[in-house]
Amino acid sequence: MSREIEVARDVLQDNTDNAEANRQRFRREGVYVVNLMSGPGAGKTTLLERTAEALGKRVRMAVITGDIATRRDADRISRHGVPAVQINTGGGCHIEAHQIAHAADNLAAGNLDLLIIENVGNLVCPAEFDLGENDKVMMLSCTEGHDKPGKYPLMFKESRALILNKMDLQPHTNFDVEAALADARALNPTIDVIKMSAWKGEGLQAWFDWLLARMAAARHA
Amino acid sequence: MHETSVAQRMVDTAIEVADQNGGARVVAMRLLLGEMTCVEPDTLSFAFGVVSRGTRVEGCTLDIVHVPTRLRCRTCGAERGGDMLEACACGTPGGEVLAGRELRLLTIDIDEEVALPAGDQG
Repeated sequence: MSREIEVARDVLQDNTDNAEANRQRFRREGVYVVNLMSGPGAGKTTLLERTAEALGKRVRMAVITGDIATRRDADRISRHGVPAVQINTGGGCHIEAHQIAHAADNLAAGNLDLLIIENVGNLVCPAEFDLGENDKVMMLSCTEGHDKPGKYPLMFKESRALILNKMDLQPHTNFDVEAALADARALNPTIDVIKMSAWKGEGLQAWFDWLLARMAAARHA
Repeated sequence: MHETSVAQRMVDTAIEVADQNGGARVVAMRLLLGEMTCVEPDTLSFAFGVVSRGTRVEGCTLDIVHVPTRLRCRTCGAERGGDMLEACACGTPGGEVLAGRELRLLTIDIDEEVALPAGDQG
């Protein structure tokens, strides 16, 4: 004979609990945390190199970067004088909150103003895993196509800002900025939009201003 | 994809709850799965079969209860189903998500009388 037991528990509850612990810790330590997400190859690491160059001497910043393999991204970022910790997820398609807690220990996050988490390049899985960040930021490059916000709605819905990258290539593609933004705003009416070419260095000031303003707002929250 | 880490948590939770309730084996499990979650039911079922192998959850029936998306319009407050990009009758797309984000273990069925499989790891 079998009998039924009520469980009534969210499957990802452990991650949600760990994320909440991270959030409280980051608030206590006074560090503003961004979870930067995109598909692979959108330009996250290039943007973080530019950000390290521009802000690394003005604010105490560090980066946690997640990839399935190699520590190439951490090496690229730390070359600009900013501490970077690499998380290798093995086959994992996303970063989980407990991995952020360990990485933050290694970075002595209590001495930081700004911590940027570069998530694993993936438009699906990272959306389900809260890391305890203040803001999620989504990056979409115009070579990926303007249909992506509609096809992968959750990550666009959850983000505070949308970066459209590789805008220097837009004239050579059929990327329709207005169509991409119409879908993104249908999902998320208050999402901030920043257009740039991280590689060419165009439009970066708007990103730096956005980060510094959000950092200041978090400090006064 | 992350269906494997979801399936692993389901197996771990089922074993924990079975232990607390004197059950030897978990023979059935019921999961609420929202339409908006990034979890694909067939992939989840396959991953569940793989990660439960050699545990007390092996062979468990997995009942996935599909939860359709339910939205409330930000402009007129009307509730509707369907895709976020399909506009409400008033013309506004998107809205507040009332249902569709569920990824929740509802119940497990435990059985005290079924013998443990050899090499039980759970």
